[in-house]
Amino acid sequence: MGKYILKRCGYIVVVFLILSFLMYSLYNLIPTDPARQELEPQRKALKADEYQVLYQQLRKQMGLDDPLPVRYLRWMGLWAKPNGEVSGMVEGNFGYSNLYKRNVVEVIKTPMANTIFINIFSTIASLGITIPLGIYCAVHKGKRFDSVTQVVTMLGYSIPVYIIALIFMFLFCVLWRVFPIMGMKTPGMEYQNGWQEFVDMLYHIALPVIVMTFSSLGGMTRYVRSSMIDALSMDYIRTARAKGLKEKVVIYSHAWRNALLPVITSILGWFLGIFGGSVIIENTFSLNGMGKLYWQGLNNLDFELVLAIQMFYSVVSLVGSLLIDISYGLVDPRVRVDK
Amino acid sequence: MAKKKGFFLTRWLKRGVLGSDQEVRDIMQEEQVQTPFRTMAKNFFGKVTVRIGLCGFILVFLFVLIGPYFWVLDLSEQDSTLINLPPSQSMMSVPKELNGKIADIAAGRTYGVGLDTDGKLHTWGYTRITEKINMADIPEEVQKADIVMFAAGEDHAVAMDADKQLYVWGNTRLQQGNFSSDMKKKMKSPDETWDIIQLEASNQFSAALSSDGTLYLWGNPNVADIKMRSQYQGNIAKVALTSNEYFCLLKDGTVAYTGYKDKGSAFAAIPEGLQGKTVADIASTSSTMAAVTSEGEVFVWGNAKNGEKTLPEFAAPVKKLYGGRFHYTALLENGDVVCWGSNKYHQCDVPANVAHNANIRAIYTGNFQNYAVMADGTVQTWGLKGFVLGTDGLGRDLLTRIVNGGRVTMTVGAISVIIATIIGVVLGGVAGYFGGKADLLIMRIAEVVGGLPFIPFAMILSAVIGSRLDPTQKMYLIMVVLGVLSWTGTCRLVRAQILAQREMEYVTAAKAMGIKEGVIVFRHILPNVISLLLVSMTLDFATCMLTESSLSYLGFGIPLPTPTWGNLLTGANNSIVIQQYWWQWVFPAAIFGVCTICINMIGDGLRDAVDPKSAER
Repeated sequence: MGKYILKRCGYIVVVFLILSFLMYSLYNLIPTDPARQELEPQRKALKADEYQVLYQQLRKQMGLDDPLPVRYLRWMGLWAKPNGEVSGMVEGNFGYSNLYKRNVVEVIKTPMANTIFINIFSTIASLGITIPLGIYCAVHKGKRFDSVTQVVTMLGYSIPVYIIALIFMFLFCVLWRVFPIMGMKTPGMEYQNGWQEFVDMLYHIALPVIVMTFSSLGGMTRYVRSSMIDALSMDYIRTARAKGLKEKVVIYSHAWRNALLPVITSILGWFLGIFGGSVIIENTFSLNGMGKLYWQGLNNLDFELVLAIQMFYSVVSLVGSLLIDISYGLVDPRVRVDK
Repeated sequence: MAKKKGFFLTRWLKRGVLGSDQEVRDIMQEEQVQTPFRTMAKNFFGKVTVRIGLCGFILVFLFVLIGPYFWVLDLSEQDSTLINLPPSQSMMSVPKELNGKIADIAAGRTYGVGLDTDGKLHTWGYTRITEKINMADIPEEVQKADIVMFAAGEDHAVAMDADKQLYVWGNTRLQQGNFSSDMKKKMKSPDETWDIIQLEASNQFSAALSSDGTLYLWGNPNVADIKMRSQYQGNIAKVALTSNEYFCLLKDGTVAYTGYKDKGSAFAAIPEGLQGKTVADIASTSSTMAAVTSEGEVFVWGNAKNGEKTLPEFAAPVKKLYGGRFHYTALLENGDVVCWGSNKYHQCDVPANVAHNANIRAIYTGNFQNYAVMADGTVQTWGLKGFVLGTDGLGRDLLTRIVNGGRVTMTVGAISVIIATIIGVVLGGVAGYFGGKADLLIMRIAEVVGGLPFIPFAMILSAVIGSRLDPTQKMYLIMVVLGVLSWTGTCRLVRAQILAQREMEYVTAAKAMGIKEGVIVFRHILPNVISLLLVSMTLDFATCMLTESSLSYLGFGIPLPTPTWGNLLTGANNSIVIQQYWWQWVFPAAIFGVCTICINMIGDGLRDAVDPKSAER
């Protein structure tokens, strides 16, 4: 097992390097000139030829004329910069955000925490609903409740999440005014203590979490249901029932254990998916999350910021696929991952 | 031959009455044997959800396919006078109480004001100016007063009673109700010089003309040219207002641009043909001016962008002229009514019973509306009735945008699915059939591409590559990006199927016959996989449409003003739009939702029919 994980980690590193190189080259397609930007304020004070000299000097200093792989390695922190300093992603320097005029690490901290918090919240909520619902539908297959659920879940995954968000906003923010329509905190609010701030935040993210949960119900419930039906049609279930075991034991101990395997794959895959999906939710509700930051960064051409977030997404997806494989082995002893 | 035909006909009849099963059983007296394809079709069409889905999808598809020919998209379309109109068809429905007793009508922006012979004012059409201001709320003092004259503008109306007092209602926040001190003085103690013969209202300003030739102008000076050159005062016979300027017919029968902007303005360039001729009537649209000479000749000048200058052939000299927003309506001496100018909202389609009818008592023309009051007191209307699905924040017809947006969204969805399927089939076929290193490499790539968060990646590709592209190229880019990012599912499916089929006898047979491997994969094995491929294509089609719309919603898909079902909803996430302008998000969301639900229903049904094992689930 350990050897397998090591092997997979090595693979992840290779894939990450390739991916990041591709992304980096993609960004270099965009015509930007940081040296010119840097010199712009002094431009009027300088003569044309002085400016040219200074400009060329700065370009050299910044290493803009070096070949692409060298610049990439510098950005990664694996190659010395022209001034001899080694500082890049590996050293924890993710670059400088032009939009916020701060280091990317500082900019990204709070939104990242928010996004992870919201996503975990909605994951727990939707798992808490979908798994029992899926099991119930599988056990009562073909009954009226099952048919209705099938139709409702179909609506859930057919309608895009922002339309669901609009409908929920209309219901809860306009019609009944239960939740605030957007933002992360009450404007102009002064908090006495941290707890109050936390409660206010919970109040603000309640609707986004509900929307995210609702929109993910469809796919997950169907998945749980179909894998559970597969498991229930196995011979060992008949045996267990023939032995006179209680129906509860048959369902939860025998069938569910075996149905869990495909479910785990989809849970993790879907957990990764909601990182991408939260771009939409965060923009619709103007939450201070990473998706919103990403959107702002892309709109304002703040590429170091965008690149850093993109790297985060890539790492999350790669580590996620590793976790899927490992959890396979943990949940199902029959699967020998190290083979 | 005829006999045989009859025989067939009776068979068809029998089949129609008894059903085909009955007939077959009659002949063979045994149970019918079906081909797999027929079983599939039977399973497929037998389901209620599939039937609903098919009907729904075909309806939406036809609507989107044929609709653009009826509702032609104009990308540059926008009109400030038509913004945020709710769905209605009542802009010209004159109230029943007015029928037969109309004294006067004034046509405003999207509403009308009418005075009945009892002196009561009525309003109709879309009268809401803002959330608070409604033209239908006629002030008490106006309703009580004995109104003799009134005019309706963009967002306000002006009225004068028999005591020569002026009233303004509607939007008065932008000085629309600020009379000059001169006017206030005269209203307080009316003398013979305060004898108003004409009232006009336009975009945030109004004009009143007294019989001694003095013109009074008031309103928002930032929008309108409401100053007047003093040499014309006392010499004015009629005034006509454009959306922010005005011009006058003088008492000596000449036309003058009396505003302060003077030269340089296109309005000041009065046509030379008018010189030496006596002008009988004047009228104006929002950006042109027109004059009729006493011989019935029409001259139009100004910024004619909608064909106001292309005059039709008049059967008789023109007697009177009326101006809408982009069109003119003329009453000829023989009683005919002729319209020209923009005909976008059918404001120039004069009804047959008006066009050649000598019994017209009066004609009133507003923004896009025309009213003709007949001698018997009935009203004939033509022009813009309203919008079936309302308009958006730029005054564009939502129905047109939904129809055309659907076309774009469906095209993008279909083409990206085709791209994804081609990539997926080729790579999956290679990986599944050849196995080994090719398989390993392809599946690793598929794993990485499939594992990446979709939306952020598509956004980045669209932003980075698309920054230098024009909208059409960007549409192609989105198709390619969606295709390139969503082939992994198809690839896996094809690979798994081919792995299973590879060991079948017919493949061994094909190999033994010496057929090339590529031919075996794509011509022998693939047809056996095609049904499953069809299922995944159907479901992917819905997914691609969803993704495209999400990208467009975020502003990284197809850029405005090209409509798609996604970017129609951009900007809908604020409480004002959600609550007040509900039609702007409900209709696009509804048709899009119906479309994707129907496609998913079809896809699910197809999967159950193709793979009966999954139907048991």
